[in-house]
Amino acid sequence: MTMREFWASVRKEFLHIFRDRRTILIVMIMPVIQIILFGFAVSTEVNEARVAVCGDMSDPQVARIVDRIDSNRYLEVTGELSAPEEIEGLFRRNGADAAICFGRNFGSRFHDGRAQVRIVGDGSDPNTARMITSYIAGVLQDVQQDADISISGEKVPSMTPVVKFMYNPAMKSSYNFVPGVMGLILMLICSMMTAVSIVREKETGTLELLLVSPVKPLWVILSKLMPYLVLSVFNFTTILLLSHYVMEVPVNGSIALLSLVAVVFVVTSLAIGLLVSEISSSQRTAMLICGMGLTMPTMIFSGIIFPCESMPAVLQWFSDIIPAKWFIIMVKKVMIQGDGFRSIIVEFGILAGMAAVLLAVSIRNFRTRLQ
Amino acid sequence: MWKYLLEKEFKQFFRDPGLPRMALAFPVLMMLVFPFAVSMDIRNINLAVVDNCMSRESSLLVDKCISSGYFRLVSHGYSAEDAMRLMDDNKVDAIITIMPDFDRQTALGRGLPVGIKVNTVNGTKGSLGSQYILQCVRMYFSDRNSSAGMASAQSADISEKYYFNPGMDYKLFMIPALIVIAITMVTAFLPALNIVSEKEAGTIEQINVTPVSKTAFIVCKMIPYWAIAFFILTACLIIAWAVFGYVCRGNVLWLYLFTVLDILVMAGLGLLISNYSSNAQQAMFVIWFFAVIFMLMSGIFTPIASMPDWARFITYFNPMRYFADAMRAVFLKGSTPADVWYDVAGLGVLGTVMVTAAILSYRKSE
Amino acid sequence: MNTGYAIHIRNLVKKFGDFTAVDNISFDVRKGEIFGFLGANGAGKTTAMRILCGLSRPTSGSGTVAGFDIRKEQEKIKRHIGYMSQKFSLYPDLTVRENIRLFGGIYGLKDREIHEKTEAMLDMLEIRDAGNRFAAELPLGWKQRLSFSIALIHSPQIVFLDEPTGGVDPETRRRFWELIYDTAEHGTTIFVTTHYMDEAEYCDRVSIMVDGRIAAMDSPAGLKESLAARDMDEVFRIVAGRAVREE
Repeated sequence: MTMREFWASVRKEFLHIFRDRRTILIVMIMPVIQIILFGFAVSTEVNEARVAVCGDMSDPQVARIVDRIDSNRYLEVTGELSAPEEIEGLFRRNGADAAICFGRNFGSRFHDGRAQVRIVGDGSDPNTARMITSYIAGVLQDVQQDADISISGEKVPSMTPVVKFMYNPAMKSSYNFVPGVMGLILMLICSMMTAVSIVREKETGTLELLLVSPVKPLWVILSKLMPYLVLSVFNFTTILLLSHYVMEVPVNGSIALLSLVAVVFVVTSLAIGLLVSEISSSQRTAMLICGMGLTMPTMIFSGIIFPCESMPAVLQWFSDIIPAKWFIIMVKKVMIQGDGFRSIIVEFGILAGMAAVLLAVSIRNFRTRLQ
Repeated sequence: MWKYLLEKEFKQFFRDPGLPRMALAFPVLMMLVFPFAVSMDIRNINLAVVDNCMSRESSLLVDKCISSGYFRLVSHGYSAEDAMRLMDDNKVDAIITIMPDFDRQTALGRGLPVGIKVNTVNGTKGSLGSQYILQCVRMYFSDRNSSAGMASAQSADISEKYYFNPGMDYKLFMIPALIVIAITMVTAFLPALNIVSEKEAGTIEQINVTPVSKTAFIVCKMIPYWAIAFFILTACLIIAWAVFGYVCRGNVLWLYLFTVLDILVMAGLGLLISNYSSNAQQAMFVIWFFAVIFMLMSGIFTPIASMPDWARFITYFNPMRYFADAMRAVFLKGSTPADVWYDVAGLGVLGTVMVTAAILSYRKSE
Repeated sequence: MNTGYAIHIRNLVKKFGDFTAVDNISFDVRKGEIFGFLGANGAGKTTAMRILCGLSRPTSGSGTVAGFDIRKEQEKIKRHIGYMSQKFSLYPDLTVRENIRLFGGIYGLKDREIHEKTEAMLDMLEIRDAGNRFAAELPLGWKQRLSFSIALIHSPQIVFLDEPTGGVDPETRRRFWELIYDTAEHGTTIFVTTHYMDEAEYCDRVSIMVDGRIAAMDSPAGLKESLAARDMDEVFRIVAGRAVREE
């Protein structure tokens, strides 16, 4: 196949795909909306946790503590309970996220160090509950410390060390979600569009026509993949621009390196699409495999939401075969930490290896189908 | 008329070579594997200690951290630069720097010359990691103080207690959520492909030229998804009990009730999208788009309370928000529909809107 | 409005954007007639037919099918007509019996009636052995006859056939036309589009559409006489030769 023939068939594929304007529009707009939504909205920080209070509100000490809880930026006092027994029902109705119960004669006992206070969390959501109770405990400790100062009259230095947040001082969740969503979207669009278009040609019989022509299968496949490669590069660019200028995620590393990583990932996804097309009997199956079968494992095992380090060993191995995991690690390193090629060499090698193996396998399968 | 249409939908579903297997295998697999993976209980945080004090006190603090079980000590040395380089290479998630005069300062109660640096590219991991370190430091102090007999003159005895999940088991928290995801995924994707496939096959035209009622046609397409969802729910509940040992605290019937309501919304949405799509691929992209947004903005993975106001407003249109909340409340806390009436209302309103829209958007003539 | 005609159409227009697919056509079809609706591809015959079946709304114009208004009473029309599209559109993943049962059920037949009809139909089509095979597996000629029978399951007044015999051999086509004649003898009006001119000869009357308009309408004999043509093929060439619109 000469270069000219190759580009002619690439042009044919382009025309074919871009004729379906609606699909192209959907594919181009979808990532924009998702990136904006997730970049701004999805955050793990606990805000405005609702705390119910149980205790003698006429006690000045209690009232002071409740005031301080209410003025804490993470907490908000939402109601008073007359007895601790009411807490369970309140949680069941989702009426509060935590409760604080003051013991009897809290104020007077506070001065002898015999006062009791209990923080009750809604353990059905363990992480949030733990964070909220630690916020409340922090408030209580502050109150105690202030009381010490007022007694001794001298300033007691804080015994809580200062934590410095590296790379992401504002704790923006977009730093984590932008690379994640980028991986998810590129993966889905590349694999699904490739798989569906090839299965469709299989169904209509046009693929056979191409494969019996003197053109080598490799070139047939490559010309089919080109439009999706271009589309993915476009998507990658929009996501990058959006995350930098709208989400204010820094791009500290080299853009060239980032693009190289993205291209390798896109090629991997295209190869997965090819493989899916070979095992699917119908367009519907191909779409369900990509839409459900690839999305869920990518979401769970690539470290977007759940850190891979805390998974059992077997599942950590499993997560190692998810290409998006390596892509996301590299994007975080290059984009946010500003690392160079040296520090991503292992991940890059793994992803490039996956791309090569997947491409080789899928192209070989095509040949055997032909014979 | 209904009977015949229903028969047709069920036969077609079970006759498809791939569909039933996939619809049933997907949730089962998900339920067997994912609970092990969805853990926010972050362990194995890689820790580097830069110990410039190297005293008995400083090593006690380090021991405290290591014995907590959250950390894995990667390096223990003097050089701040080395530690920082390790963090740049992602080999270390947190660095504790202990200043030279740590033992003297703390003994005098003058302050705490300890610096902590945490990698917060992943916000959850970062904030939980720093919480753990602070907790260790706090424990170190309370141990020291109690052994030294120092106690604050004024204090309150603070105790903590957690309802419903005393073991603070994150898996338990995620089980109902995974059921929600399994049901929603299957019952969103399949209906979205349904009508558009009939369009592509041309069979819808033969239906359109008959006097079939629009409502009957759409509702009969929806009913099989209830059956599928019930099957998934039952299978998931059995797995949760048999494999993981979790049982629903509330009345199981309520789980089914909420599933009925959720299918109303999701199958309605799927059929609506199917009506407007000109080919299956379009339908698939659009439903995927919604499914991912629903999932990430449902409160399943991250709390809704942490979202900005505008985003929280959007979640009121997210069926998964109500479904996940209700399923968790029933499963974990034993709530009843009366307790979580707002979830019933939310799903009910969205469901009515979606089904009506699906019926109205199905046009028998151009 | 009972006009005594099975189909009564006046000034029917259908536009898609700037394109006028059906350009102001008027015609009547008598009850029990076999009416051939001819035209080159893209002449607008399928569009016009879809309007008559209630699958599409006209841009302007009026008319009745089976006595019901084509603009306002589309669902009532559907109760009294049968339709067979040019693309096989029965459910390929249902068996022959199941397809019959489904459409019988949709038209409101009782279980017992459906059962009787199914047996009669399988006998008439001589495909008794194929009753439990998937519709997708049938040979094309059988599929066409099955579609036709299903279009007639509720004994409609009019049946619309859109190129019913595309892609099959002359013998199969001949047998299909025997079915059409049988049906017409029982008083059912047949409205059929075709581009086989030998089939046009079988019709009581034909109309030829060119560029969205009806260019000629008469009995086959009448057309041949007025145009001094030997056969329908020549008639069609003369009439369709005036076309300006491309396919």
